[in-house]
Amino acid sequence: MIAKDNKGTELKETKSYYEIGNDLDGFMRYGAWQIKEIVDLTLQPLVKQKEKYVFEFKKDATEADVTVNLYYYISGKKGDKIYSKSKKLKFVEE
Amino acid sequence: MSKKLLVILLMMAVMLPLSAFAEGMKKADTIDELVKMFDDRKCMECHPQIAKEWKESFHAKSVTSSLNGMRNFFAIGVPTEWERELTKAEALKCLDCHVPEINYASEKLAVEIANMIIKAIDSKSKSEVKKITKELSKLRVGCISCHNIKATSIAKGLMGKPVKDAVYGVNGKESPAHLTIQTNALRTSLFCAQCHGKYVAADGEIIMCNTLSGSYYNGYVANGGGETCQDCHMKKGKRGHFFPGGHDLEIVKEGIGFNANILGVKHTVGKWIPTAIVDIAIDNKSGHRVPDG
Repeated sequence: MIAKDNKGTELKETKSYYEIGNDLDGFMRYGAWQIKEIVDLTLQPLVKQKEKYVFEFKKDATEADVTVNLYYYISGKKGDKIYSKSKKLKFVEE
Repeated sequence: MSKKLLVILLMMAVMLPLSAFAEGMKKADTIDELVKMFDDRKCMECHPQIAKEWKESFHAKSVTSSLNGMRNFFAIGVPTEWERELTKAEALKCLDCHVPEINYASEKLAVEIANMIIKAIDSKSKSEVKKITKELSKLRVGCISCHNIKATSIAKGLMGKPVKDAVYGVNGKESPAHLTIQTNALRTSLFCAQCHGKYVAADGEIIMCNTLSGSYYNGYVANGGGETCQDCHMKKGKRGHFFPGGHDLEIVKEGIGFNANILGVKHTVGKWIPTAIVDIAIDNKSGHRVPDG
């Protein structure tokens, strides 16, 4: 997520869903033969994952652009944007 | 010669190219011998649509698309970490799934293939890499891999070892080209889970190549999910033997729902701080966790 206001503030938040493969001593490993335990931080089937973020901008900001992107990484090297939503927010003067 | 005998002889002639796969047969000493033993070009002649789908699938490049991981096991895991000799039994820990036909390779050939996989990554010579990769591309999960070699694996007690020359299928439709055996094994998710889940090697070693089946059974079926691997990866959208998965963005998007509500407010009375409140919902609609590795 990226949120930018018209006063130069840029705020970012990232949330990742993935698994960690650990060896017998609890060290993270990538080799299938090394992995003997899983720390599961993935999206679970039939479960709706909800996230909520609050971005605070500069007090005198009157506009902000907020974009939420969802990427799918088939590997650490290749990621594709699969969903995106953007909105321009206008903050009314007092 | 009676017409009946002639028909039988003709059938045998047609079946001959498929007749190599069987228990107790001579083990192949070269890749070409192995490929010839399990030559599925004959299958493709009568099943062109399936062949077309399969050629685009990752099953069709199940060795060459996974060279890095297998190289690491053969070059580092076995000799350095386990301090073992690279044998066919060790090679099978990857190749039993990536090319099930390897079970019918000689000890020498299986080790040679494992060493080729190492060279395909480690060689500094581009031409050598190209040559080896081309040779390795002959090895993959083909027709006979699933429709014979692995067809009875999930129910060996009930079904026994795969029958010589038989083609196991869900329809059981008779064919002049081969003996057909109807089985529901190929309808089950467990059939796919043989390889798309925790893999238990012959010596009991558990290889965590991927763990899809764990979340399928414990997260999806346990919570009321009723579809099989084949329902989504084959039947829906007539995907057939293309078996799209994580490499295919269409099915990835189909499996993940997304919604974001972005609201602008000015909060904190007296200070009036311009604020964005973002609510996101990501819905895993697939039958397993996402992502899986």
